[in-house]
Amino acid sequence: MSASAAGRRRLSNVIVPIATVLVCAVYFVLPLIAMTRFSFQSIPVINLRWSNLTSRWSFDPVVEPFRDEQLRSAMYLSIKLAVATVFATMALLIPTTVWVNLRLPRMRSIIEFLTVLPYVIPPIALVAGIRVVQPHARWFLNSHYSLVPFYVVLALPFTYRALDAGMRALDLKTLVDASRSLGAGWGTTLRRAIIPNLRTSIVSASFLTATVVLGEYTIASVLLKPTLTQELVVFQQSNGQQGTAMSLLLLVATTLLLGVLTIVTRKRGGASVTPV
Amino acid sequence: MSALVFAGVSKSFGPTIALELLDLEVTDGELITLLGPSGCGKTTALRIAAGFEFADAGTVAIGGSDLTRVPAHRRNIGMVFQSYSLFPNLTAVENVEFGLRTRKIDKVERRRRAGEMLELVQLSQFADRYAHQMSGGQQQRVALARALAIQPKVLLLDEPLSALDAKVRLQLRDEIRRIQTELGITTLMVTHDQEEALGIADRVGVMSNGRLEQVGAPSDVYSHPSSAFVARFVGSMNEFPAEVVDGTHVTVHGVAVPTAAAATGAAGSTATLLVRPEDVGVEGTGDGPTGLVGSVVATTFQGATTVVSVRLDVLDLLVSANLASSKTDHLHPGQRAAITIDGTRAVLEP
Amino acid sequence: MSLTSATTSAPDASTRRAPKQRRSWAWLGVVPFFAFLVIFLIAPALSVFQKALFDSDGNFGVDALKNAFTGQNRAAFVFSVKLSALSAFVGVVVGGLLAYTASTLRRPRWLRTFISSFSGVAANLGGVPLAFAFLALLGRQGLLTRIINDGLGVDIYRSGFALDSTAGFVFVYSYFNIPLMVLITLPAVDGLKDSWREACANLGGTSWTFWRRVGLPVLTPALLGGFLLLFANSFSAFATAAALTTKSTLVPLRIGFYLGGDFSSTGEQQLGYSLAAWMMIIMVVNMGIYYVLRRRSERWQQ
Repeated sequence: MSASAAGRRRLSNVIVPIATVLVCAVYFVLPLIAMTRFSFQSIPVINLRWSNLTSRWSFDPVVEPFRDEQLRSAMYLSIKLAVATVFATMALLIPTTVWVNLRLPRMRSIIEFLTVLPYVIPPIALVAGIRVVQPHARWFLNSHYSLVPFYVVLALPFTYRALDAGMRALDLKTLVDASRSLGAGWGTTLRRAIIPNLRTSIVSASFLTATVVLGEYTIASVLLKPTLTQELVVFQQSNGQQGTAMSLLLLVATTLLLGVLTIVTRKRGGASVTPV
Repeated sequence: MSALVFAGVSKSFGPTIALELLDLEVTDGELITLLGPSGCGKTTALRIAAGFEFADAGTVAIGGSDLTRVPAHRRNIGMVFQSYSLFPNLTAVENVEFGLRTRKIDKVERRRRAGEMLELVQLSQFADRYAHQMSGGQQQRVALARALAIQPKVLLLDEPLSALDAKVRLQLRDEIRRIQTELGITTLMVTHDQEEALGIADRVGVMSNGRLEQVGAPSDVYSHPSSAFVARFVGSMNEFPAEVVDGTHVTVHGVAVPTAAAATGAAGSTATLLVRPEDVGVEGTGDGPTGLVGSVVATTFQGATTVVSVRLDVLDLLVSANLASSKTDHLHPGQRAAITIDGTRAVLEP
Repeated sequence: MSLTSATTSAPDASTRRAPKQRRSWAWLGVVPFFAFLVIFLIAPALSVFQKALFDSDGNFGVDALKNAFTGQNRAAFVFSVKLSALSAFVGVVVGGLLAYTASTLRRPRWLRTFISSFSGVAANLGGVPLAFAFLALLGRQGLLTRIINDGLGVDIYRSGFALDSTAGFVFVYSYFNIPLMVLITLPAVDGLKDSWREACANLGGTSWTFWRRVGLPVLTPALLGGFLLLFANSFSAFATAAALTTKSTLVPLRIGFYLGGDFSSTGEQQLGYSLAAWMMIIMVVNMGIYYVLRRRSERWQQ
């Protein structure tokens, strides 16, 4: 009795976890399967039979949309916004984190608190605030690139943590002292001593930023900017299959970005992909 | 009657043999330490006694009853872990009365007994503190009180001192021995520190590669090691290349050394003679028995004794001798000296 | 004697002055950062409050804030809170179990890395593509809808199901809530030491005893914190909801509604801003409690 009681206890310790994993696996995979099927198989759900399960599959729904002028320009815009946001983030954050780590260690907790603020002021509230100012700032908000600073803000919790973590792993003071003693000015020090050592953090912060920007919908939709997600929603209404196919593409791209990021940072103990 | 008996216990983890036919009888009220390098199986033996592992073969009996297949929570055994085993969300006294709560003892009685135990380890004033508010040594004392509160038949200690710093280690070591003697509780302690093992145990069991090499009183194991492994592991040894002459003595570079250990080797064969530093004599000299002459390399004053290191000329061997300080005044580094070997307690390794 | 004390006191005076000067210079280094945040984050947030508290004539009044709880907006609050709480609850339970699995299951060995990496990715998915995926799965023309219809003979839509109902939203939001919970909880579950489990067993406790008296109490701050985080996450989600439904039945959606339209009555527009203001207040309180809890749970992870 004692042996089987121990055995039974160990079994329930294993059954619950395995069941959880299986249920979750099904839950997470099913929507993707449905999305893929809908995108690439041109048969309405009602007409699906076992017989035609493998017919009428094609890549057209993901190729065709690229011919659409509006969607293409929306894609380019989003990509350009992502790149611009990455550069803006680096330009703002790298000097700041270097400065804080070097000269103002006591400011660190304040800065950390501030970088979580965007989480407390969700995008919908932020864009409401932008609306308030909009009449007075039309000259600025008319440009599509006015989205960039706000996207920098949205990505701040992720990017700051990624950069700060990388910076803390370096012995910043020694590096800077060594560089300055060899005659390098601040610019050169940044460029040739600090940044090359932050490669993983910069890559990780960039990927996270790109993910945020490419998937951002809230601000773009209220400010009526023709970004990718905005156009996808419109596109979906007229052509469900192609719209869904493009969304699937976006999903795959985002997953790849995050996946590569996770793998690259795993060796260093993992970067933070949560905002808090 | 033996309080704790291992009979033919074997355990493997995949291809690795952790324990091979362990036979050990711990008598009532005795404190036995299991000593050995990491991987020797001592921790496995302890965990099998506790019920966290089940033996592949053999039996474990406590107080006469066979507990081999009994799950851990049904054995009435107290265990102290290496570190951080106090429940962090409970105060010290709540930790100590944990085992009493699972035995459904009522609150008043629980508190009383827990209070007694904390008194025993001299931490009554810490009753309402949490683990993170106590030092490592204090935590281990509470852990000890917790294990003893359930009045177990056997107390198991899994390297309880290794996570503590040196000074605390000594204090706690003596305290464990004091409490163990006071309560008369049968105790099995595992450690890799031989000072600990020899210092407080009634008997020491030296283990290597899953086997129990020797069990005996500390002085026995030290003075009469049954194998070269035990000889080397417990205390330190000088190793001299030797030739077995006959059953009563060997020669070390031509110098005859009478030793009973010669009987363990075949006549005419070469072997290694293991000699304790205290059994080596050093004399400042020019003449003396030839062959065991060398230069003093260093003398390390240790208070009552001094360790003298001599590098022998012919054998290029560094010999360590432990002598009374009064006899070493005349020995200085660089000085010529001669070695004498007392082979009474020597061990031969063929 | 007096000579040495004289020479040592003089440098003291000057070194006491110098750090103060250095400190005020160093401040400049973070000015760009602060300025950026003020312009692009804090100013917009404050203007929301300004619009919510002052009407078009500049009069201060909390009426708009109070009116945010009437009519359709009140219904939106109720729905949002109900949905967020439920969705957070599901996320905590399933995510917690998944984190427990990742932490304790030794075989297969790649499982933990997989769950953790997957969660890192999935927690950041969401928004438009996710909504479309669920539309393809459970929409009126959804694959699963069809399968359930054929397999179980139940038309879920006729039985009252809709993707923009509570059940539907909870089902969809779990897709990013569960992974987020795993990410947050995994460190906490890892912190449950084996020695506690073994000590508990040694003292006569079963697995149940352990969870009841040690495991869950130690995890409670992390679990509560997770709940709060998921609640905040669900409450403020806009994109996913907007892509799932055209109705404005949730607070974020109603804010979007007010922002998107031209309202002749500025009172109506002010309602939008009060909703946004309330949302921020809720988030601040929510995250405040979260931080307190997190600090406490870190204390127990020695």
